Amino acid sequence: MASQSRKGGKNRSGQEGVLARVTNTISQSSIVQQGKLVASDAAFVTKKLLKSTGKAAWIAGTTFLILVVPLIIEMDREQQMNELEMQQASLLGTPPVAPQK
Amino acid sequence: MASHVGLVPPTPAPYKDNEPKAAEKIDYLNLPCPIPYEEIHREALMSLKPELFEGMRFDFTKGLNQKFSLSHSVFMGPMEVPSQATETIKIPTAHYEFGANFLDPKLMLFGRILTDGRLNARMKCDLTDNLSLKANAQLTNEPHMSHGMVNFDYKGKDFRTQFQLGNGALFGASYIQSVTPHLSLGSEVFWAGQHRKSGIGLAARYNNDKMVATGQVASTGMVALSYVQKVSEKVSLASDFMYNYMSRDVTASFGYDYILRQCRLRGKIDSNGCTAAFLEERLNMGLNFILSAEIDHWKKDYKFGFGLTVGE
Repeated sequence: MASQSRKGGKNRSGQEGVLARVTNTISQSSIVQQGKLVASDAAFVTKKLLKSTGKAAWIAGTTFLILVVPLIIEMDREQQMNELEMQQASLLGTPPVAPQK
Repeated sequence: MASHVGLVPPTPAPYKDNEPKAAEKIDYLNLPCPIPYEEIHREALMSLKPELFEGMRFDFTKGLNQKFSLSHSVFMGPMEVPSQATETIKIPTAHYEFGANFLDPKLMLFGRILTDGRLNARMKCDLTDNLSLKANAQLTNEPHMSHGMVNFDYKGKDFRTQFQLGNGALFGASYIQSVTPHLSLGSEVFWAGQHRKSGIGLAARYNNDKMVATGQVASTGMVALSYVQKVSEKVSLASDFMYNYMSRDVTASFGYDYILRQCRLRGKIDSNGCTAAFLEERLNMGLNFILSAEIDHWKKDYKFGFGLTVGE
């Protein structure tokens, strides 16, 4: 009887019992544990990668700003001045383009 | 140097190439005078080590005469104080500097005095055609921080020697000789009485129309190599390698130097994670605008400066 009531008890909350058992086995199975470990590792590595990519992007960006941007600006101005001189040289009756350095 | 263009057609016969070169024999009795020993790294230093500063700088030079000129200079900005901690300590300072220059073909005098009591003086005098005397002195308020140095330079036909005397029983001598029209070798010896140190160094410099390569070794443990290539008449690229075999310190740096009509831009990047740029822009005749930037990524130290230079 006791076993019957126990069995009944098991059967009434049998659904829950079965469900709980099934989810327990699933969540305690080794695959799921490993999956969790892998996911947390992946998250960790992705966070680190993003941070280091961010850092690298910052270093590359500021170095580019300091080294290359003034160069581009100055070369552009030099080119503009050259064009202006060529224009003026052609306007003034095409004297021979003497290098005025 | 006569160029060989048009002299030898580029044929695959190698012996033909050697003949015109042999015809231009090196006249070993007529070599050019070499660069002074302390300026052996001159091109690399000019391109890679501009005077970076932080803060504001204003220089005004006024010529009173053809030979005599005065200069006034104001500087305001943080100055670095050397400290043992890893953090650099910066103290905002401001000073005014007054200077006078006298320039003669035979005599040059240069003096600067600052508001914090430092005096800087330099003199260069040509005693005869070949012998010249140079002296410089730095005097400060603090005791035991002043020093002075006297140099005697003798310039021979294809060699230079220098003898140096400094305070604190510092003696030095150097000799540099042109070995071929492109190559010059030199050596130096010094003895510091106060620190009981002595050293010997050797240097070599090879230069061409397009490039300059120098190497220097010293018994203090320093090895310095540099290479400067003139890519065009406006652009030159420089690289520098310094190694100290006593303290195992290595530094390599690369830089460029653009000399355009309106400006001069120098940029460099270092193996210590430092990048720097220095721009001098000519706004007008006699008016120059200066910008300086230095970023140290590892120490997170950022220095930016601007300034104006008035006068020739």
